[in-house]
Amino acid sequence: MLYPLLWMLSGSVKDQNEIFGTASLIPSHFDFSSYARGWFGGQVTFGSFVWNSVVIAVLSVIGNVISCSLAAYAFARLNFWGKNFWFALMLGTLMLPYHVTLIPQYILFLKLGWVKTMLPLVVPKFLAVDAFFIFLMVQFFRGIPRELDEAAMMDGCSAWRIYWRIMLPLSLPVLATAAIFSFIWTWDDFFGPLIYLSDINTYTVQLGLRSFVDSTGSSDWSSLFAMSSISLIPVFLIFLFFQRLLIDGIATAGLKR
Amino acid sequence: MRVETSYKAPSAFARNAPGYLFLLPWFIGFFGLTLGPAIASLYLSFTDYNLLQAPNMVGLDNYVRIATADDKFLSSMKVTLFYVVCSVPLKLAFALLVALLLNRGIRGLPVYRAIFYLPSLLGSSVAIAVLWRQIFDADGIVNTLLWYAFGINGPSWISNPDYSLYTLVILAIWQFGSPMIIFLAGLRQIPTDLYEAASLDGASKARIFFKITLPLLTPVIFFNAVVQTIDAFKAFTPAYVISSGTGGPIDSTLFYTLYLYQEAFGYFRMGYASALAWVLVIIIAIFTAFSFLSARYWVHYDD
Repeated sequence: MLYPLLWMLSGSVKDQNEIFGTASLIPSHFDFSSYARGWFGGQVTFGSFVWNSVVIAVLSVIGNVISCSLAAYAFARLNFWGKNFWFALMLGTLMLPYHVTLIPQYILFLKLGWVKTMLPLVVPKFLAVDAFFIFLMVQFFRGIPRELDEAAMMDGCSAWRIYWRIMLPLSLPVLATAAIFSFIWTWDDFFGPLIYLSDINTYTVQLGLRSFVDSTGSSDWSSLFAMSSISLIPVFLIFLFFQRLLIDGIATAGLKR
Repeated sequence: MRVETSYKAPSAFARNAPGYLFLLPWFIGFFGLTLGPAIASLYLSFTDYNLLQAPNMVGLDNYVRIATADDKFLSSMKVTLFYVVCSVPLKLAFALLVALLLNRGIRGLPVYRAIFYLPSLLGSSVAIAVLWRQIFDADGIVNTLLWYAFGINGPSWISNPDYSLYTLVILAIWQFGSPMIIFLAGLRQIPTDLYEAASLDGASKARIFFKITLPLLTPVIFFNAVVQTIDAFKAFTPAYVISSGTGGPIDSTLFYTLYLYQEAFGYFRMGYASALAWVLVIIIAIFTAFSFLSARYWVHYDD
């Protein structure tokens, strides 16, 4: 299972000829120069791609957690006219493939002058477009005892205060799950950046890596493997630290991918 | 400290306002980025919009062309259906098999679970596609192994149209981790006393599997099948990276999504691409509806 990944990792420190010549994972000698070649080799350093990806991913996490939890609180706890109708529509968007909205969204962002900036990748995340996270949070919020917020309501707490002081602190596990998956999906996203980013200075890691594949052709495998390995590090670290949370999240909610 | 106030029935506004305020971001997103664009996309699918000139109504022309005169539509749909039909059942079979093995109370379960899950988590990242391209390259590790183990001179898998799609199917199967974890969770929920009773009655392992485990697991199998099928229809990154965006060789990895991308962002045929998008939605909807209809014959819900 892990052999391909380890092969890539070992390939990044192997001598060029050794990568394909042998199936052994242990290099005859360790050569880390490929990392420097890959990092500084391009027109823009790989660090710039990493920075762009981090900015987009962190903003996406913040946006998703805030906007989805606001919507989820309204659906789980507040009463208002047409609630069931809106809730059904929200669930309906879960099934809608993104291809349907893709082209008009692109045209919209083009007209707004946002194409070639990171705005189309970040702003939607603040508008709760990932209905899946709303759904996940609604399920969790419903499990929190109603007595808690009813008592607070009696004491004259506003809906905002209940959301902020009671629901959010009690919902850290689900917020963390949403945040982690939001980070990983944004980090791995290739399609969005491919459409919206065209200036190499704004490239994310995924785009940078692909342009790296094209520019190095078939010459420098070890530095290609080195940069590929680096692009996997954030996801791998998250996996290492939050493995339990990730696996419980996927087991209970059936998270995709 | 409590402040006594005389009770006043809240106005309709006061009752509804908080809900709508909390939903404000979602409303903007829903109308501006989901519902609005979906309607616009339907409209554009009846036009020949190319971003430069105003959209020009062409009626059903786009759909007629898709149905009758577009070879690339046919080949990309064939490639995608082949990918879905091959990769989903195999992926689920592996996921179920490994879940069954892991469920037998072996030691170090969390470690194995993690190892099997990691490839799916890394999922659709470019690095994985790049890795795959190298593994199945003419002088890649697969051919090296074939040479050492069997003395076979393997083909160049990626650049041979007879094999290129299979490499993508293998990549999909390798990432069986997330359905596996859902299977594991499903297996946990089967009451152990059922197994105890069955083994007391002297039922064989195969019988227990086919008479207890499998039927009780059908809702989970169904869920996984639907989710994985929809996901497989949407696959894009591996095909794009492995074929350098062309869908080649000879369109053998031209996934439907890749074709749609080329039409929209390569040739800026936004109207035609919108029609392609709607055709995809309809096909996914038919597949999903068909699974739900068939479900009543093979999915057992205990009630």
